[in-house]
Amino acid sequence: MATLDTKSPGPADRQAGETRAIWRERAGAWAFYVPLAFMVVFFALPMALTVVFSFFERTMFWMEPGFTLFSYNNFFFSARLENFLVSMKYSALAVVICFVLGFPVAVFIRRSIPQVAQHRVILLFILPFMVSEIIRVFALRPVLQRNGLINSTLMDWGLIDEPITALLYTHTGVVIGEVLSFLPFIVFAGFLAMEAVPKFIFEVCDDLGVGHRRRFTDIILPLAAPGIFAGAVFIFVNGLGVALLPNILGGPGAVNAGLIATQAITALDFPLAMAVSAIMMATLMGLLYIGHRLFDLTKILTPLN
Amino acid sequence: MTDDYANPWAYRLKWAYMLLLVTTLMSPVLYVMYISFNANGFGARAYDFTWEWYRLVFSDELLLNALRWTFSLAIVVTLITVPFAVLAAKYYKTAQNKLPVVFLLLAPLFVPPDILGSALLVYFKSLNSSFIWLGDQLGTTAFDGWFRLSFFTATVGLIIYTIPYAFIVVLITMGRYRTEQTEAARACGADGWRAFWDIEFPQIRAGVFSACSFCIILCFNEYTRTSLLKGGFDTFTTVLISQMLNTGMSPQSYAMSSMVAFTAIAIIGSIIIFTLIRSESLTRTARAKAEPIMSS
Repeated sequence: MATLDTKSPGPADRQAGETRAIWRERAGAWAFYVPLAFMVVFFALPMALTVVFSFFERTMFWMEPGFTLFSYNNFFFSARLENFLVSMKYSALAVVICFVLGFPVAVFIRRSIPQVAQHRVILLFILPFMVSEIIRVFALRPVLQRNGLINSTLMDWGLIDEPITALLYTHTGVVIGEVLSFLPFIVFAGFLAMEAVPKFIFEVCDDLGVGHRRRFTDIILPLAAPGIFAGAVFIFVNGLGVALLPNILGGPGAVNAGLIATQAITALDFPLAMAVSAIMMATLMGLLYIGHRLFDLTKILTPLN
Repeated sequence: MTDDYANPWAYRLKWAYMLLLVTTLMSPVLYVMYISFNANGFGARAYDFTWEWYRLVFSDELLLNALRWTFSLAIVVTLITVPFAVLAAKYYKTAQNKLPVVFLLLAPLFVPPDILGSALLVYFKSLNSSFIWLGDQLGTTAFDGWFRLSFFTATVGLIIYTIPYAFIVVLITMGRYRTEQTEAARACGADGWRAFWDIEFPQIRAGVFSACSFCIILCFNEYTRTSLLKGGFDTFTTVLISQMLNTGMSPQSYAMSSMVAFTAIAIIGSIIIFTLIRSESLTRTARAKAEPIMSS
């Protein structure tokens, strides 16, 4: 018959238990570094290596180590540079339109909607964003084309006799696509930035009788600048780098960096694709560095700290 | 005092403008939904309601297979991304130098999909070549195919794409959590895991579930990175796009697009409604507790 062991754990058992507890604590502490390590290995390193690969020499199906500026020559001394600069201009235009349309909404949500409902109203802007960008961009075609929704509506109302052909397969179409794709981001970034503006400031402005224009230019804009800048950089860089928009909505002249990179990949010109990626990364890093020096971009996350 | 509520019409006008903006953003999707039920297809003047295109979608074996792959991808990505986001958010809250954490976790948001996809494609192809070379040197084939374009590489691409969104959502819900509660639990003898699971997790649960929803939706919607990194299988969006590019927008394509849109809107709508109902009930409970007890 088995006897019940009522012995208390000895010193060896206690020590083993303590050791296990210490190791569990250590493992828990190290676990925090796992996502960061993952991002270093699979995001930061590949992005940094684009610079190295961009100097490699192209072979028939791949590339071989070396140091050549051929890919950069291929980019800077061809029509690609002109296309890149033109797409920069139109991306900047999309940023301005997004700011004019979207930032007042961010201010309105922050200032005039009760605090408990603010995040739910913001979710409204996530709704369209949650539908695939591919679907949204493709869906713009039947809206913008000759016999599409806009032209047929305007003609039904008798506002135009001829359909407007400039809406699709032009730079205008690409800008419309960029605005509709990225506008929610200026609202999100603006809203986050406005959360860093204390409400009492508006009350002080009211008490002092500061006008709407001065309040906007002297108070709101400087305080919300980090968020506005982050949103603007996002729209600008994605306008330059999303191949889908010029591919589906643009004409033959609408070619951006993303489209150049994907065309290079298709043509198995990997060094050129990496050179374009490196130029895009340099543009992005440069903009973020300037923004951080001017506004301290970490302020955007202040409400979450 | 200038107050938005002082002029109700100005306030209503601002609301109307905001809703008009949301409707405009949604208009392409709503238009696709509308024409996906038209028996005469796109561009037809006559409109006859039909379910035919949806029925055809579900009889398409290629599409159903792609849906299975996409669903598997979405589940695996969510199971990795959300714990990563929680760990990263917890680390961010306690980190002295927050800039590297923010940069690493939010930078993928700013990198266009084609650029990130191209960079990862070349990175994985290089890794694969390097490991094959290493295997040749060691006289083994054990390393062959570790980094060949496959489910694994597509998963990595999608984790990098979804982690910023999950991180922000979890961080927002963590913003309301007071770390003193964890300290109190630890002082009472709970280990780190127990303190997290029993005290912290119930308070950030909404954020974690929202992050899961977003991850699944984003995986179903993503095309560029997946198409570059997936290797030999098809996902929902890659089938959709190849059909669109090769044969043009068929009524079936509209139906498929609408299905994805319906699902995404239903999930986000459910989150909004659920949080509304929950906050209403919490407010009622708090008000009931705050009321003085009536003496009978």
